[in-house]
Amino acid sequence: MSGPPCMVFVIDDDPLVRDSIADTIASAGLPVQAFGSTTEFMACPRPDVPACLILDVQLPDLSGLDFQSELTKSGISIPIVFITGHGDIPMSVRAIKAGALEFLTKPFRGPEMIDAVRKALTQDREFREHESALTELRGRLATLTPRERQVLTLVITGLLNKQIGGELGASELTIKAHRGRVMRKMRADSLADLVRMAEKLSIHPHTPEHPTKVE
Amino acid sequence: MDDRWVPALIAPGSNSPGAPSLLHILALFQGRLNTGRSVSGPSEPPNDLFPDTSIPEGRVPAEAILCTEELRRRPSRTPDYEKENRALLAVAGAMMASDSDILQTLADAILEAADCDSAGLSLLAKDGGERFCWTAIAGQWKPYAGQGTPRNFGPGGDVLARNCTLLFRRFERRYSYLLPVLPAAEEVPFYVGGKAVGTIWAILHTDRRGFDAPALNKRGFDSEDERIMNALGKFASLAYQTMESMADLRTQIAAREKAETLLRDQATGLEAKATGLEAKATGLEKKIRRLVDANIMGIFTWNLEGRIDEVNDTFLHMVQMSREDIASAGMRWIDLTPGEWRAGDELAVANLIATGTAQPCQKEYFRKDGTRVPVMVGAALFEKGGHEGVAFVLDLSEQKRAEEAFRRAEQQARSIVDSALDAVIAMDADGVVTNWNKQAEQIFGWARSEALGRRMSDTIIPEQYRASHERGLRHFLTTGQGPVLNRRIEITGVRRDGTEFPVELTVTPLKSGDTWTFTSFIRDISERKRSEEQLRESELHLRRMTETIPEMLWSASPDGAIDYCNTRVLDYTGLPAEQLMGNGWLKMLHPDDADQAARAWMTSVKTGQPFRVEVRAFRAADRAYRWCVTSALPLPGPEGRILKWYGTIVDMHDWKQAQEELRNTQAELAHVNRVVTMGALAASIAHEVNQPLAAIIASGDSFAAWLANDPPNLERARAAASRMTQAATQASGIVQGLRALFKKTPSITRLLAMNEVITETLSLVFSEVERKGVSLNTELAQNLPAVLGDRVQLQQVILNLVINGAEAMASAASQPRRLLIQSKVTEPSEILVSVADTGPGIDSQQASRVFAPFFTTKPEGIGMGLSISRSIIEAHGGRLWAEANQPRGAVFHFALPAGAIHSMPAART
Repeated sequence: MSGPPCMVFVIDDDPLVRDSIADTIASAGLPVQAFGSTTEFMACPRPDVPACLILDVQLPDLSGLDFQSELTKSGISIPIVFITGHGDIPMSVRAIKAGALEFLTKPFRGPEMIDAVRKALTQDREFREHESALTELRGRLATLTPRERQVLTLVITGLLNKQIGGELGASELTIKAHRGRVMRKMRADSLADLVRMAEKLSIHPHTPEHPTKVE
Repeated sequence: MDDRWVPALIAPGSNSPGAPSLLHILALFQGRLNTGRSVSGPSEPPNDLFPDTSIPEGRVPAEAILCTEELRRRPSRTPDYEKENRALLAVAGAMMASDSDILQTLADAILEAADCDSAGLSLLAKDGGERFCWTAIAGQWKPYAGQGTPRNFGPGGDVLARNCTLLFRRFERRYSYLLPVLPAAEEVPFYVGGKAVGTIWAILHTDRRGFDAPALNKRGFDSEDERIMNALGKFASLAYQTMESMADLRTQIAAREKAETLLRDQATGLEAKATGLEAKATGLEKKIRRLVDANIMGIFTWNLEGRIDEVNDTFLHMVQMSREDIASAGMRWIDLTPGEWRAGDELAVANLIATGTAQPCQKEYFRKDGTRVPVMVGAALFEKGGHEGVAFVLDLSEQKRAEEAFRRAEQQARSIVDSALDAVIAMDADGVVTNWNKQAEQIFGWARSEALGRRMSDTIIPEQYRASHERGLRHFLTTGQGPVLNRRIEITGVRRDGTEFPVELTVTPLKSGDTWTFTSFIRDISERKRSEEQLRESELHLRRMTETIPEMLWSASPDGAIDYCNTRVLDYTGLPAEQLMGNGWLKMLHPDDADQAARAWMTSVKTGQPFRVEVRAFRAADRAYRWCVTSALPLPGPEGRILKWYGTIVDMHDWKQAQEELRNTQAELAHVNRVVTMGALAASIAHEVNQPLAAIIASGDSFAAWLANDPPNLERARAAASRMTQAATQASGIVQGLRALFKKTPSITRLLAMNEVITETLSLVFSEVERKGVSLNTELAQNLPAVLGDRVQLQQVILNLVINGAEAMASAASQPRRLLIQSKVTEPSEILVSVADTGPGIDSQQASRVFAPFFTTKPEGIGMGLSISRSIIEAHGGRLWAEANQPRGAVFHFALPAGAIHSMPAART
């Protein structure tokens, strides 16, 4: 196997189908793990790599769609490619609405499946990257003192240091010092950069009427 | 006929009253009587000369024939007193000799004295003088003595009328019964005691005396003749009178003599009687002996002590004894008599003693062998007061036998009459009841004893009809006409209590000898009348009802001819009633339906089964044929035969259409169901099969991918190929498992009547099949054993087979399109259902594949029908197969075990 690390999970109760799909993925050079049920899947530790889940809608113990909502509830986000023996449109619509990436009906061709999987992996990679970046930022944010937090919030609203000082009851110099530290801690290159970070962190600019909430 | 004047001379006597007047009349006439016969020849006197006593029309008047004055005119001869005296002497002599001859002598005298051809006396009949009787005639006309002429219409009458001598000629011109040839008649009346009693007359038959040509030696009658005649006449009168007186005297003498004679005779008579009696007795004894010996009846002599003296053979035969038996045993007739008759015997003996005879009476005698013989015995004493007599005995055995037979026959007849269900009443010609049977007692309430002897009209005929009954009876007896006789008539009778009631009567007259008997057979028809009335009432009621009910109603007579349609029918069809009667109703039907309807009707009429057909009838309102159902039921009568048919016609066109639509809808629904089922099934199958398919395809692609690796990953490739095989195998298994799927489906199993299942299914597809122009026929065997199974599944099978068959015949080459569903029992425990079509049949090439799954010849078909059907049948423990139909088409058979629960065969894997 070559390529960036990733993992493809396959859950299908039918062993032949399961094996065949796993083989299809493998033949595309992608690592794959196959499970006979969702329970098995959940029991197994997952590597922290971009992943994709190929999930049969009709499973004996739990329908695929229900499992999907369970995963979402438990915070596990992993792109799902549904496969089904039926070709039920409402089901597929529901599945997609619920966030499934793809809905394939059996029998499907190998390349068809691989495409879907690659797409899923890419999505997951991006997502993960996005997520890790966000984690990084969060880490940085965590290093901020509460005061620095407040300053951050006001900075991104575009207020001048003096204004910020007035707001917080500190001197401009103080503010400036805080700003510097925020910028350093956040490793923001520019104000615009900081704004982007704040946006990513869902820190909203606030007007003087709204007191800064210290998170 | 001689036209010459023929003289006839007739002179009356004088008419001086008081003294006996002797007027002598000289009547000379010639002629012969108007008998058409010649007088001169031997002839018989005519029988009746007096057709009437009145003068007929058209005769010449008397004056025309009288020529009396001729007597005076003619030269007269010298009186020949000698002749006269001779004549008078002759008459006197005759008188003295015998007064009975006097008249004849007188006639002879006249004949001689007047020198004529005939002479005679005409005396008025003593009975009132209506005619003259020729008491005595001499000469040519002598044979006519005893006859005469009418008083009013004859020469004598004319003479007495004129009271003078008259000479006639050719008097036949007036008196047509006298047909003379050459008459010259002189007629003189003579009187007795002042009364004209007749005439004497002389007739010249020929002209020998030269009447019309008075030659010297030839003359007719003249005054001399008249004189002599008159003298003779006077003398004759006197003589006659004397004769009369003498006759009276003689009569008296004779009477006295007669009385004396009578007395003498009586004495003589008595003597004679005695002699006669003696003779008789002798004769009688002979006769009696004859009787006794003739063996006609038994005769014996007896005495009052009871002894039997003499017996004849017949008697002996009767009692089977011999003479010695009688004699030796001193047999008494009392001994011969059985005890119960003794009293009668004593009575008879008493009678004998009292009257001398014992009237014949019946009794019995003992035969020698102890048996009895019925006899009739009469007896008489030889002399009154005596004690010996004779008895005669008649053997009544035969008679008794006949009586017995008659009694038996009569008894039989009586019992027949008595047991008759009709009243039998006999009546004589007077209208009196002579016989009255038991039924008559019951019907009319008169006991037999009360009815006999009464007038029939007083018993059973209502008062208002009695007179006419009597009239009718009399009319028949007088004219022989009896309009009410010998036929059944319905009249009113009356019971003893006065209630009147309807009866059916037949009167038969019988004549026996001179007597009439009328036998009446009477039946009480109150019940029948009531029934008839009820029937009429109900018919009327029915008629009212049928005309009011807003439905089409009709009725027919038992032979099937329509006799009534109510107004609704007439309005519906637009036809007048007459056209619908009898067989006319067929007119209102669609021509294609009429035959079948007529046949069904005739069948019902013959068998009495309820009638029902669906036909198209013509509705006038929209001039179209509409579907109607007509049905009828018979009305049974009292004896079980059918009185009437009553039926209705109901227009069910709209309903039928609605039914059609419903059927269509149902068929659609079933079709949709099937489609849906198939769809669902298909989806289910698809899903099932997609699994291994996905494995196969995915493996196939990965197989290729592994081989495309650099270097190719053969191991993985092999694994992929292996998976493919596995998957394929799995797929096959799934297909097989589909059959098992049905077994897994919970089915409702119960005992089914196959014919019901078939007909239910057919009702769903009927319209659809019909639409395809296919005629659907069934031949379902009766008494099919029940089958244990799932109704719905078996219906599915039948549905499948029928639809297949119908669709197979879609091509035109299949004409006629016929689908036949049959059911029958093949083995004791198996039923066979067959669906046969007339389509192209099964291609031999494809024959083995028809039941294979996914096999179809239809573009839109899935091809699961027969496969599934076979699965179902096999699940029921049966088998489904196909054969070729003759002459073309295919037959699909399935056989199912009957009745008891059958163990399901193991699923095939």
